[in-house]
Amino acid sequence: MSRTTPRHRSRGALAVTLAAAALMISACGGSTGSKDDPALQEPAKPGQKVDLRFWSWVPGVDKAVDKWNATHPDIHVKLEKIPAGSSGGYAKMRAALKSGNAPDLAQVEYQEIPSFLLENGLVNLSQYGADKDRSKFVDWQWQQGVFDKSVYAIPQASGPMGLFYRADLYKKWGIEPPATWEEFAQAAQKIHDADPKAYISTFPAGNSAWFTALAWQAGAKWFGVNGDTWSVNIDSPQTLKVAAFWDDLRGKKVIKTEPDFANGWYKDLQSGAITSWVSAQWGDAIISGNAPKTSGKWAVAPMPQWTKGANVSANWGGSSTAVLKGAKHIPEALKFAEWLNTDPASVDLLLQGGYGWPAAADGYEGTSLDKPSPFFAGQKYNEVFAEADKNIDNSWKWIPTIDATYQHLNDGFQAALAGKGSFVSAVKQAQKQTVEDLKKKGLKVSTGQ
Amino acid sequence: MPTRAPRRRRNLAPVVFVAPFLLLFLLTFALPIGYAVYQSVMDVEHTGALGLGGSHTVFAGLRNYSDALSDHAFVRSIGRVLLFAAVQVPVMVALSAGLALLLDSASARGVRFFRAAFFLPYGVPGVIASILWGFLYVPGVSPLVDGMRHLGVSVDLLGGDTVLWSIANIVTWEFAGYNVLVLVAQLRTIPAELYEAARIDGASAWMTVRHVKLPLLRPALILTTVFTIIGTLQLFAEPLVLKPVSSSIDSAYTPNLSAYNEAFTNDNYHLAAAEAVLLALAAFVLSFGFLRLINKRGGDA
Repeated sequence: MSRTTPRHRSRGALAVTLAAAALMISACGGSTGSKDDPALQEPAKPGQKVDLRFWSWVPGVDKAVDKWNATHPDIHVKLEKIPAGSSGGYAKMRAALKSGNAPDLAQVEYQEIPSFLLENGLVNLSQYGADKDRSKFVDWQWQQGVFDKSVYAIPQASGPMGLFYRADLYKKWGIEPPATWEEFAQAAQKIHDADPKAYISTFPAGNSAWFTALAWQAGAKWFGVNGDTWSVNIDSPQTLKVAAFWDDLRGKKVIKTEPDFANGWYKDLQSGAITSWVSAQWGDAIISGNAPKTSGKWAVAPMPQWTKGANVSANWGGSSTAVLKGAKHIPEALKFAEWLNTDPASVDLLLQGGYGWPAAADGYEGTSLDKPSPFFAGQKYNEVFAEADKNIDNSWKWIPTIDATYQHLNDGFQAALAGKGSFVSAVKQAQKQTVEDLKKKGLKVSTGQ
Repeated sequence: MPTRAPRRRRNLAPVVFVAPFLLLFLLTFALPIGYAVYQSVMDVEHTGALGLGGSHTVFAGLRNYSDALSDHAFVRSIGRVLLFAAVQVPVMVALSAGLALLLDSASARGVRFFRAAFFLPYGVPGVIASILWGFLYVPGVSPLVDGMRHLGVSVDLLGGDTVLWSIANIVTWEFAGYNVLVLVAQLRTIPAELYEAARIDGASAWMTVRHVKLPLLRPALILTTVFTIIGTLQLFAEPLVLKPVSSSIDSAYTPNLSAYNEAFTNDNYHLAAAEAVLLALAAFVLSFGFLRLINKRGGDA
């Protein structure tokens, strides 16, 4: 035994060192890019073939890309489907940017544009004449990609919000779709009383983007920028009011607290254990795609209001097509991005895929959105979202560390579900952590508006 | 000094033979570690609110390390994997050893079948295994959870107190078979004469295990223990995959998950590098600590 031990010891040591090395390789990053823009690219000469790489996860985008390729023989777009941004898509993009191997174009959600800018990942499209496209888009969505008077992303779609609800179950239990949040709380109680297995909705602790939209509706303005100083105001009274509201429902056990967009939640949508969902317009495709058997049972009402008779909505989601640093054919990439998001044929294909509310200025009326839907029992449900779209506070701004803020909120909300703290304390904690995040990035921060 | 020249020529040969190894060692081992350490002491500074004024890398000293160690979530994640290791390592080693001894016992039948069956989960990638078990953990989808509820037992396998052990279950399922294979291979090297001698001495089956098999199994047990220690500290794929279905797994649930999030979600590559270096140090300390402990005991025995 003593003879064999030393040999095995060294082998064990080797294993340790190898494993440690592997672990470090997996976690180390690349060097940062320089600020200098490379020389402006010239458009391709007539007849010259150009290949573009495009990373996106939007349903239906493949059909739009096929259409482009069929009609534009000189500029071929190769679509690579990636996981949705926060599920790994951005991680992939950031890694590609670090290693200098980024695709020409990528899907970037509005809230992520500042983060990509801070990492020097986006091409200034104003240099390539993007500003002339401005009138083709809804103004506030266009502004989501404008920083320092330059355009960095071509808007694609947004997510005006409303209330999806099971009209059949509401009717059965004699419940009206709640017009105010107070009525929402009462309806939550009634639904759970009517059927102990049924809930009005879930509070998705791991999905802070949703909570952010609710705070947005309540009148919160989390972020602003003044010169080169960011202001952070997450723990405003408006946000705390929203957090306290859900703390209260959670305390009464009249809502579920399972994660959304997960197997259990889809099952609950199918079975009627979840009877409503405050969500964005693109939620229609989520429900009809994952609970097809509930067709004809759903309806859409405006988002519940904090003040009776008010008419305030919010935006959840929203995405752009951006040209990434390192793109080989920027003029052609811009041309494609503009076509993808404004050409009526392309917009219609994206709409059929359920990409959300068009950023194209004339994207609603007369398109496939503007029709009664059998899934929603013949309701022309997009009228609700068209109205909501007009009632969003369009001055909302994002910070370059929004992912970290979402994580802090997620972690805090999850801790609250585990019995440590409350949603309110999670919001307060996220405020402090967000200020730290920005400082750690070497940025200037002030609190309050 | 007439002897000097020939000696130098003679010394060239080992260098030539060692060179390929040294080159590989430098490229695949020293360089990445050096790079990670280098990254961990640097930081990025931005100009302007959105960095449109440019950014440059600066020397940060040990700031990333102090940031990592003052981050409660990261420190908690280290504590969590240590707790996990304290339970998982003994369970894994005992289970693997038990299964290996059973497979090796003279009366075992279908040895080949069971060996393959135990090993099979190792062939399933960790991500797939986690998705698979994830389905078995989610209430409403899982026949396991629903079946138990019908029996009047309500369990939340994804709750704050339980999810760590639900992960332990996945890890055990995945790697026990691999360890069994290592241990069985070692058992096969034990010469038959030793068993014969034990039988002649009148040893029972249990005494053979206790005094012949286990002592001779020791090197393989040490190996599997070290592997398990390192594996538990590196816990990553399982919590990452279970995160969307559990409200109890946060973004810094394990140190590796924390480093991953800092690097690829928050763009804090330098902080991530510091966390990775800290985790590697912990793995070194624990593994060598274990080996020293074992060798000291071995020396006494």
